Amino acid sequence: MSTPKATDFGGRALDFVMGIVEAPINGFERLMGRKRMPYLFLAPNLILFGIFTFLPIAIAVGYAFTGGTGLFVSERPFVGLDNFRQLLQCEDYLRPGSCRESLFWTAIWNTLWFVGFNVAATLLVALVTALILNRAMAARGFFRAMFFYPVLLSPVVIGLIWKWFLDRNGLLNAFLQMLGVPPEIFLLDVGWSRFFVVVVSVWFHMGFYTLILLAGLQAIPKDLYEAAAIDAASPRRTLFRITLPLLGPNLLVVLILLMIRSVQIFDEAWVLTNGGGPGTANSFIVQYIYQMAFGSDLRLFGLASAASVLMGLVLLALTLIQLRLGRKMES
Amino acid sequence: MGNLKLTNVTKAFGALTVLHGIDLTIDDGKFVVFVGPSGCGKSTLLRIIAGLEDISAGGIEIGGRDVVQLSPAERKIAMVFQSYALYPHMSVRKNLAFGLENLKFKRSEIETRIAEAARMLALEPYLDRKPRQLSGGQRQRVAIGRSIVRNPDIFLFDEPLSNLDAALRVQTRAEITRLHRQLGTTMIYVTHDQVEAMTMADEIVVLNGGRIEQVGTPLELFDNPRNLFVAGFLGSPRMNILKGKVTALGLAGVTIDAGYGAPLTASIDPAAAKVGQAVLVGIRPAHFAIGNEGLPFVVQYHESLGTETYVYGTLEGRGEQIIVHQTGHFAPRPGDLLRIMPLPGRVHVFDPESGLALPQSVSQRSDAHEHA
Repeated sequence: MSTPKATDFGGRALDFVMGIVEAPINGFERLMGRKRMPYLFLAPNLILFGIFTFLPIAIAVGYAFTGGTGLFVSERPFVGLDNFRQLLQCEDYLRPGSCRESLFWTAIWNTLWFVGFNVAATLLVALVTALILNRAMAARGFFRAMFFYPVLLSPVVIGLIWKWFLDRNGLLNAFLQMLGVPPEIFLLDVGWSRFFVVVVSVWFHMGFYTLILLAGLQAIPKDLYEAAAIDAASPRRTLFRITLPLLGPNLLVVLILLMIRSVQIFDEAWVLTNGGGPGTANSFIVQYIYQMAFGSDLRLFGLASAASVLMGLVLLALTLIQLRLGRKMES
Repeated sequence: MGNLKLTNVTKAFGALTVLHGIDLTIDDGKFVVFVGPSGCGKSTLLRIIAGLEDISAGGIEIGGRDVVQLSPAERKIAMVFQSYALYPHMSVRKNLAFGLENLKFKRSEIETRIAEAARMLALEPYLDRKPRQLSGGQRQRVAIGRSIVRNPDIFLFDEPLSNLDAALRVQTRAEITRLHRQLGTTMIYVTHDQVEAMTMADEIVVLNGGRIEQVGTPLELFDNPRNLFVAGFLGSPRMNILKGKVTALGLAGVTIDAGYGAPLTASIDPAAAKVGQAVLVGIRPAHFAIGNEGLPFVVQYHESLGTETYVYGTLEGRGEQIIVHQTGHFAPRPGDLLRIMPLPGRVHVFDPESGLALPQSVSQRSDAHEHA
């Protein structure tokens, strides 16, 4: 009869802990008043968030208005909006070469391009995968785990695996040679490298989004499909008139999360393309920020911070849209 | 034509057989209720008729057509689900139109049918609302409306009132019955509620353990239950059961001694019984008369419902639990000793081993038919 013993032990342990903490908690409650007590319990997390999240954000915002290459605030002169002017000064925004910070605008256009293709591809692949995994099929649990597994890997590992796969002497070329197709240096070709950055990103992240969509699909009552079957709905009409509209809230969450995640593309693409190559074909906005601040001893922390602030505003806007649409859909 | 014929319908989930060779014929225009306890297979049988479940063996004909290989949409049936299964993102109008659009009806025809169903079910004010903006009763009516617009040969109802409160249930019950009279279409209705079964059905099919126990009109089943299960399942409170022994055979029936010094007379065909045969005697609570002679009944407590009273107690001595029904006000005290006597012709007799009812005498059978 181990369970009652364990319960007794658990109960005694809880009593022991409560005996220790009760007196100080009562003391704090008398000191602060009952209404303020919740803040006491929130304080440890707030302090950690403050140090590791809010403080860096505040520092970055502050640095965006400073110049020079010094690391400490005291070493950095206030330059007002100069960094933002430098980033946004452009004759024609569609031609990065005409901009003062051409690399910034190249990164922006590359990122926009990537966001468009990556969001569309990941959403489509995750949706199709979720629809397939939602059906009664053999080894469904195995396939669900298999599609989710890449999410657990480190982005650097992902980048290295695919680099090994796509290299001149990689697995893909070996396979193509077996078929008599001449080898291709995928990562040195602008088109192929951009294509594979999207492929790798889709492969890496789709498991997570598939999971969200699968949860949404499973929340759709089965009897709606039965009613649709009696209502003579074809599979296509059932998909477009029943499944997708009811999956709307989940699709919206996935869409916004995907956009946010895509704007932040960096690590796996950096490793895969040897720092954004060929040339600047895969140089994205986060990479630009990283290079300005820490790459090649540039130490342009002000410029990097200004770019971070601009990117942060875009992400904030996306998050607000998600929250607003989410609430609207819930109501 | 909305007649239905089930031939040896069998359904198994793996090694578990839930329907054992169901044979049933339902005539066009009938209101048939499948009733039985949870897990008896009534909903599975309904879903099989709808085409939502495959059968393991047997045949299904609707209007003389073999429909076993046909999809639900091709069977000319409509179904009202327990959860209503309304499309939550569509307005009432779109819910009603969806099936017709799938069948490529003309817009004008769709509008006409929606208007007709909405008028019939008083749904006109709600046509542009979403299901979540409707009450339970209104949703139920939309679900019925969705079935009506398709003009099916057979309506199938899967416990459609179970999510409604008691008052609304009574009201919707009456509405469905009215609708059946108005449309004249075959309706098959699944419920575990015997009151729904008794009040709505032209015919009741009592199911138990995946088998049909008895088919008949509500009063046929109430008056002449084929076996102990049907006797116990239909009627509320349930039938009282006493142990007894046949002591004499007469021309009009048999005499049974239940051990309380008051012999009971049952209108049983004497040819079907033997003197000394052990039997179970069934008497409904409403079929006892309280008087100066009869079984000794010790009152434990009573429930007064205003127009009627249920008295709960035991028979003195062996202590068998008995319920007695009295109309009007009646307030015996706990411990009171009453004498109760079954009404003539209202004693059911069952074989304790097979559970089957012993056949009634010819005169009783003809009485029962006249009564029905």
